[in-house]
Amino acid sequence: MRAAQPARWRETAGLLLLLLPGLGLIVLFIGTVISMAVAQSVGYFNFSGPSGFTLDFWHKQLTSPILRTSVLYSLKIATISAILSVALAYPLALWLRKPFPGSGAISALLKAPMMVPGLVAAFLLVNVIAFHGIINETLLGLGITSKPLRMQNDRFGFAVIFLQVWKQLPFALLLLSAAVQSIHDDLLNAARDLGAGALARFRKIVLPLTLKSMQAALIIIFIGAAGDYSFQVVAGPTRSSSLAQHMYTVQREFGQWNEAAVVAIVLMAIALTGSILLAAASQLAVSWGKK
Amino acid sequence: MRNKPLQVILFALLAIVFFLWLFVPFAMALLWSLVDPDKPWSYPDLFPQKLSFRRWGDMWLTTSLPAAIGNSYLLAPVVAFLTLLLAAPTAYAFGRIPFRGKAVAQMLSLLPLVLPSFIIALFFTSLLYKLGIYNKFAGIVLGHVVLFLPYAIRILTVSFSQVRQDLIDAARDLGASPWARFSAAYLPVLRPGILAALIIVFIQSIEEFAIAFVLGSPDFTTVPTILYSYLGYNFVRPNAAVVSLVLVVPNVILMLVFERLLKSEGAAVSGGKG
Repeated sequence: MRAAQPARWRETAGLLLLLLPGLGLIVLFIGTVISMAVAQSVGYFNFSGPSGFTLDFWHKQLTSPILRTSVLYSLKIATISAILSVALAYPLALWLRKPFPGSGAISALLKAPMMVPGLVAAFLLVNVIAFHGIINETLLGLGITSKPLRMQNDRFGFAVIFLQVWKQLPFALLLLSAAVQSIHDDLLNAARDLGAGALARFRKIVLPLTLKSMQAALIIIFIGAAGDYSFQVVAGPTRSSSLAQHMYTVQREFGQWNEAAVVAIVLMAIALTGSILLAAASQLAVSWGKK
Repeated sequence: MRNKPLQVILFALLAIVFFLWLFVPFAMALLWSLVDPDKPWSYPDLFPQKLSFRRWGDMWLTTSLPAAIGNSYLLAPVVAFLTLLLAAPTAYAFGRIPFRGKAVAQMLSLLPLVLPSFIIALFFTSLLYKLGIYNKFAGIVLGHVVLFLPYAIRILTVSFSQVRQDLIDAARDLGASPWARFSAAYLPVLRPGILAALIIVFIQSIEEFAIAFVLGSPDFTTVPTILYSYLGYNFVRPNAAVVSLVLVVPNVILMLVFERLLKSEGAAVSGGKG
């Protein structure tokens, strides 16, 4: 026992040394950045004026109507984008479960938007839906509408949701394809032999067995969409702002680091609780659908 | 077999969707980038009056696009190389050493992916200002390295776990030096993973917007931040089209190489059996 002790100690030290440059750097960096935001939100590390504990910045932001609308707006966009991406990814994943001629090309095409940077995606969409863009010109040319529709910067945020789905659907598809492909054929065949229709097989076998991947997709898409800046600025409604946009405006245009820090913490809290709630809701829905 | 008509309908539907989903947007961007500066494309013209490459030449000569390309393509290899070096030891531990709390450690390594990048960008900037560090290149390199470490760690963890212990043992029993052991047992299996990690981090660094924008503005430009400047308050569609293509085309090519490498990983493993 006594001889083993130093060896174990050296093993642990070696392991820590291995983890230090990668994991250690991540934890240190993220920890410091979050601490910085928390400290600035309560009045420390000021760039101008004295530093000291105060809840003024929290009070100012929490009573601000802009923050409230930004929270609601970001929640709306994130929830709809996550659910829509997953809902569209399921049928595609099931369709592509078994390879057939051309299925490789289809999944390659489906994954293509992943390679397109967000800003480029936003620009591409804006071109298509612009006031005199191709869709409006086509609708006018076919006589379907009498004047161009306003689709860019629409008030609800359809354009932003479309962009989120365009960009995130491939990701959801990637996660769900892997999960769907690992379901054994025997299971689905047995269910079919017992008289289960397509919908019943989906509710009672596919959904429960792919729940974990679906939750991972929901969480990651929700967090990404809740923290979105570029889609919102290029294609989003001009009247409401997303949380990231609000945070940046508060800092850049009003020079208010402390209030921006409050918005940052609100955004982190929203992203965390929202994604967990969404994952929990999907679990409930799936177990309810099993019955 | 009985699903054949359905298959055909789905296929046709998908062709239409993709025409609208990918082809039309990119064709529009290409068209806009070729609009001649003297003959603007405006309503009610259905097509530009004149197409030319003059916009590309003008952009190259009169805007900061060359500087932005230079910055982006200098940042990306530095970031990719540093990320690989820093990720490798952690990936080795994740892939080859069993230890308590590994699952938690692996979850923690994903932190940069779940935190909204604009928060990281803003408060990393504020931290650098507080520390009195104003070197934007170094700042963006550090930010990118942390942001993309999760990808490199993940890819290399898989690679390290595929190295076969019997090969390492055999090499050692035959008296191979540490370097010979590494190049005989590890390197052939790791090579696709190393390349894949380098490429994915390179692409991500070229595309990254939040840190480059918040920390870099106003004087340090990268390709995404210059694109943003044409999409914002002074929206110049043809210029944005040129920058979009400059940004997206090299990355798509690299991504295709990346996909190939991921597929070849299995082959390398079985090849190592001999």
